[in-house]
Amino acid sequence: MQSRIAVFCGKGGVGKTTLALALGLRQANRGRRAVVVTSHPLPELALAVSLTGLAARLPEAAKNLFVVHLDSKELLADLVRRSFTMPLLADRIIASSIYQSLVEVAPGLKEFYFLSRLQQLAERKQGLRDEPLSYDLLIWDAPATGHFLGTLRAARSFEAYLSGPLAAAGAEVGRFFSSPGRITILPVSTPEEMALQEMSEMCAELQENYQLRPATILLNMASPVLNATEGQVAAIEEDAANPALRFALGRARLERERAGQVESATGTLVTAVTRIRHTSSDIDLLESLGAQLDGLPV
Amino acid sequence: MKITVFVGTGGVGKTSVAAATGLARARAGHRCLVLTIDPARRLRTALGLTGAPEEQQVRLDPAAPGELWAAMLDVRATLDEAVRRYGDPELQPRILAHPIYAAIADSLAGMQELMAVERIDQLRLRGFEEIIVDTAPSRHALEFLDKPVAFANLADSSWVKLIGRTYKFVEATGMLSVGRATMEIYRKVESILGARLVSDVLDFYSLFVSIAEGYGERARKTVAMLRDPAVTGFRVVTAPQKAVRDARFFTEALAGRKFRAEAFYVNRMWPYDPGAGGGTGLAGELIEWYRDERSAQQAGFEALRAELRVPLAALPELDRDVEGVADLERIARNLLP
Repeated sequence: MQSRIAVFCGKGGVGKTTLALALGLRQANRGRRAVVVTSHPLPELALAVSLTGLAARLPEAAKNLFVVHLDSKELLADLVRRSFTMPLLADRIIASSIYQSLVEVAPGLKEFYFLSRLQQLAERKQGLRDEPLSYDLLIWDAPATGHFLGTLRAARSFEAYLSGPLAAAGAEVGRFFSSPGRITILPVSTPEEMALQEMSEMCAELQENYQLRPATILLNMASPVLNATEGQVAAIEEDAANPALRFALGRARLERERAGQVESATGTLVTAVTRIRHTSSDIDLLESLGAQLDGLPV
Repeated sequence: MKITVFVGTGGVGKTSVAAATGLARARAGHRCLVLTIDPARRLRTALGLTGAPEEQQVRLDPAAPGELWAAMLDVRATLDEAVRRYGDPELQPRILAHPIYAAIADSLAGMQELMAVERIDQLRLRGFEEIIVDTAPSRHALEFLDKPVAFANLADSSWVKLIGRTYKFVEATGMLSVGRATMEIYRKVESILGARLVSDVLDFYSLFVSIAEGYGERARKTVAMLRDPAVTGFRVVTAPQKAVRDARFFTEALAGRKFRAEAFYVNRMWPYDPGAGGGTGLAGELIEWYRDERSAQQAGFEALRAELRVPLAALPELDRDVEGVADLERIARNLLP
């Protein structure tokens, strides 16, 4: 039995963490055991799902949703502890400056091991400390594009150095991260040119080097016009005397144009996630965003 | 010499604000350089950046009494320059061809931060009066101030010197000169991480240690300059929706490093008042969307103004993306002195 893995990736600040949590919450509330994995310390929004309040509001989700921050250095320390059964020796190794500096400077080591743990988690080979091993859905809230691609690249170049306890892991990581069947790639972008450009380049590299194709592109913070027909848009344009409406329409037009360009550049359809207004709590916000993610193949 | 560092999270238009600031300083008669990390394509074109690692002068029309220059931070080129400038001429080719060198230069993690500080020093040597630094679009941006010092400390640590030099010695003589206990730990580490990785890293460091030491020294001086309020000012750029969260975070993150924010910008405020009227159909939905968004933006700005004790300015969102110097002039009009 294996878990599915959904990867939210894209430029910094486009809403990857928020959408990852929204998907997790939605799926967990339907009874699937979901875990959101981040490689950065959890932001405030994550607290909304992991702390008080959720159990009272959505008991089913509270039972099934897990949010974890995986720190590469911690993971490697675990590996040392598992490899040396004498705890004192393991601690001496971990505390030694040789070990500390090597872990810091060895290129690709941390990145490789992070992916290796993610793969083991997805294939239910080795769980996290004190956690059960039976997630139905693994959601990776990946780091911003540069670091995300850097992680994949570094892990791959690290394969030249594999030996010892890491050697066995090497082949599995490579196989796992180029097997489209299990991984749902979900690039996220706002309708801004720079974010879209970065995302298109990311999709090209994922396709070329890892044979990974995105399931759909999530266009986050879209205007209500993104899903309208050309006729409807043209109709507003005719009597847009209000400068605010003209400005809004200008924004919306740009969005539509860019969504079209991105679809043809990447060969992937865009899913609009419209901006949510007036929510009274973070859980409300995540719920309404989650409802927009229902069609995703996860 | 004056340095202005712009910090802010992704998507707030930090690079445009930094570039507009450079433009304003050039108009005020200064010879000024904007160092950016990864500008959007149009902005890159506006600044005449071709992707070459050297700084480029931006052509201004009408001409300014000062000069505006722009440069992109190229991690590999900056590191190469450091090796060429400071490395032992005999070792340079071995360093540049070393597999670990390529891997370290290409692995984003940390190198950008280390090289930003090195690049500031290189530009200082080229005689710019004012340097405007655009940092990585992230809450982690301030790490560019931490990592160089951590690296300097590592380069200085007796351990790296010992291993670096000892390893060379071991290689030459086939003898071990480190203590038995240290070697035992060393072998255990090797058994986990792999012998080839460990020996490659150590071999590289034995070549690199003199450059690392020099880097460490320069990095400490540069960071000290960044810490001197007479030389350096930090400006935070944020977007209306996340103004208060961002401001709190950066105020604290800067203060924790003993830096002080000298100004805040809330960028991309939607400029037009939509009035009270509504509309029907899609137009109504759109104006409603605009009104909601704009009032949320203004609420964010007001909330920030209420709790901030340093100068704050709102910058309007332009009708279109920044395409040329003329658009930067429009942003520059609303900048704080």
